[in-house]
Amino acid sequence: MRQSLAGDQRAYAELLRETSRMLRPFLARRLSFESEVEDLLQEILISIHKARHTYDGNRPYKPWVYAIAKFRLQDYLRAHYADQLRHAVEWSELEESLPEHVTETAISYESISAEVQKLPEKQATILQLMHQEGYTAKEVAEKMGMNESAVKVAAHRAYKILRSKLER
Amino acid sequence: MENIDDLINKLAQDAAPVKQASHPYMLSLKWMGAALAYLVFSLIFSGLRPDIGLKLQQPWFVIEMVMLASIFVATSLSAALLSFPDMHQMRRLVLAPVVTFALFVLVIFLAWQADSPPAPLPVHSFECTISITLVSLLPAVWTFYAMRKFASTHYHWAGSIALLSAFSVGALWLRLHEVNDSIMHVVEWHYLPMIACGILGLWLGKKILKW
Repeated sequence: MRQSLAGDQRAYAELLRETSRMLRPFLARRLSFESEVEDLLQEILISIHKARHTYDGNRPYKPWVYAIAKFRLQDYLRAHYADQLRHAVEWSELEESLPEHVTETAISYESISAEVQKLPEKQATILQLMHQEGYTAKEVAEKMGMNESAVKVAAHRAYKILRSKLER
Repeated sequence: MENIDDLINKLAQDAAPVKQASHPYMLSLKWMGAALAYLVFSLIFSGLRPDIGLKLQQPWFVIEMVMLASIFVATSLSAALLSFPDMHQMRRLVLAPVVTFALFVLVIFLAWQADSPPAPLPVHSFECTISITLVSLLPAVWTFYAMRKFASTHYHWAGSIALLSAFSVGALWLRLHEVNDSIMHVVEWHYLPMIACGILGLWLGKKILKW
């Protein structure tokens, strides 16, 4: 660095190359994308160039360089997150733009019960046992003298009918 | 990688010999010398308080002046160190104003306790704050102008400390100029506004010292 301050261009170029090799892993550990590392590294090198008169040749070089690198990194991250916040969408705005309230439905428990009553008797009984009284398909099969897969098939058909009726 | 190499070559071509910045001790000495000359000139121009001989025999007044001068020295040194990206690798010395401020608060508290019966409050109030601000303007401009030539990586603190340094000159001037013995008045209209200006310096530092 002393040679660089005296105007030795080759020494200065070598110093900057060495500095960029030293800083690249430091930045790569803190940033997600290679393009960000490149951009920031360039910015840091320019800052080092601008501030080179503040380096004291009697003191170690690394703390001086890292002080500038950290400063530029913090600046970059601050600007990056501020930018993200600027472009963030307010939740209330998003709610207003939604076509409808997805958690609310016009289908009530009563309307489902009424539709279940309209199903064929066997299907209605199976659904009542499974969903109102909490029996499993196996228990319903034993109760109604059917096999388990027949109960499941009947329940499946009942769901299909119910869905088509309730979606209307 | 090509971009970095191009940039390095460009910067190297632009690398004319540069004059190394002064050591922070020298820098702060320069600032202190200029501020001292300014203070002496201001006192010659405005006049010393007529009872200065008597006041200099009162220990609390003398200690208060010494502490104010210490704040000025500590903040000047700290501001000079904060002008360098790595604080010239003397981080502990940067905190010198914290110690002097703590001692100053203690001195003011003890002076307040000793002020019995309390000295009468002067008729004026905010005029003191305005006077201190006006006298501090020039040292503040000078310090910020000098600091801009460096590369502070802690510009908020640098701004705050620089403004405190400038205002300590103003505060010192007014204590040596104004006939006033009320410690309540001094705290309210001299020192609290000085701290408020230090807070303002956090913002000013960002505006002026960012590079």
